[in-house]
Amino acid sequence: MKNLINFLIKYSVVFLFIALELASLALIIENRSYQRSVFLSSSNSFVSGLLQAVSSVEEFFSLASINRDLSQENTQLRNRLSILQTRLASIEQENYSSITIPPEQECLYISANVIGNTTNRVQNYITLNKGWEEGVRPDMGVINKDGVVGIVKTVSKHFATVIPILNPMLQLNVKFKRSNYSGPLVWKGEDYRYANMGDIARHVNVMKGDTIITSGLTSVFPAGIMVGVVDDYRLDDSSPYFNISVKLAVNFRTISYVNIIRYLNYTEQKKLEDTAEE
Amino acid sequence: MPVILQNILRFVSLVLLQVLVLNNIHFLGYICPYLYVLFILSLPLGTPRWLELILAFVLGISIDIFSNTMGLHAFATVLMAFLRQPAIKLFVSLHEEGSNYSPSLRTFGIADYLKYMLPLVLIHHATLFGMEAFNWIDFSNLLLRMLLSWLVSVLLLLAIQVLKKE
Repeated sequence: MKNLINFLIKYSVVFLFIALELASLALIIENRSYQRSVFLSSSNSFVSGLLQAVSSVEEFFSLASINRDLSQENTQLRNRLSILQTRLASIEQENYSSITIPPEQECLYISANVIGNTTNRVQNYITLNKGWEEGVRPDMGVINKDGVVGIVKTVSKHFATVIPILNPMLQLNVKFKRSNYSGPLVWKGEDYRYANMGDIARHVNVMKGDTIITSGLTSVFPAGIMVGVVDDYRLDDSSPYFNISVKLAVNFRTISYVNIIRYLNYTEQKKLEDTAEE
Repeated sequence: MPVILQNILRFVSLVLLQVLVLNNIHFLGYICPYLYVLFILSLPLGTPRWLELILAFVLGISIDIFSNTMGLHAFATVLMAFLRQPAIKLFVSLHEEGSNYSPSLRTFGIADYLKYMLPLVLIHHATLFGMEAFNWIDFSNLLLRMLLSWLVSVLLLLAIQVLKKE
């Protein structure tokens, strides 16, 4: 017994070391599972408060370019509005007597600010300043004016963390705008400007500059949102699939304002799909 | 007491420097220096080993919370802290038993300090990058990333020491 106690005392540091390393490993493994505790991540309120303060300083310095982008987007939207207004007016004139059913709105956009962002890691995350109270829920899609950003992972009261395309955990279902062939888009962890598209068989006609958009096959993103353009493609002799490198439309280094897509019929669609699988 | 206060200040300022400034540096798309290890490197020689380990864990977790990498930095930092005393015994010739100064370029001398710091920072970075890329196989890219970050971290750590010496 005395020997045992001596042994324990002698190697107590080693035991402490092993215990701490095991605790860290447990945290790492826990973190790799999809539902992560909100408490120990950057959607924790103290940490996100600090991140928000920092991002407000950064924002100040990029105000000019943000203003320019916003005014450009404003003009685009106004142009579309005027086109749609005239079209609407002409349609109303044509069938003012028939019974019309208003088209149901499918999506609602929640605007949010990026307050934390990484691009240089293998697994990158983005923190947003909107949370549960503003209607953000896990699994919602996130876009900005250029295209797809990522998917909401965890949500706290006022903050949310997003898995961007720049994280191999995210597999985005995308398709060619021209030919409609679809496949998964995955980031390989190298360059924040490029991602790889798979599952495109060798008989498909691929060209540099082809536009890649969301496929709409999942309930996260509606179809047709810009993802990027084909930058390069390669066909290995032994492989049945193309190796396609896609230049992402979103510049993840400078991202600051995003929209979260709230798909209004999400629960209904999800429930239906789940019952079909059973 | 001033020693404790000095170390608390060093802890806080290094964590803030790391999460607010250095984590946002992506030099050439590869390089993110991790200077917070200076806290472990500079702990006084007389610090009990259990305290070193606990401090390393707390330091790592603080960095993890801010950078959304739960456990990664904690793992690497605890490993580094565990190997610190053996590294001192192995590499530093002037070390006398019972002394309590904190390791630096001035107290160790440049040769011994390099022998002490280079392997420890390398072990930290290797663990960090290796664990982060656990499920991702592109070894040459990983190695390049790790070595470049290591080089930049080491140069910055030396720069801090030289500036402090003045």
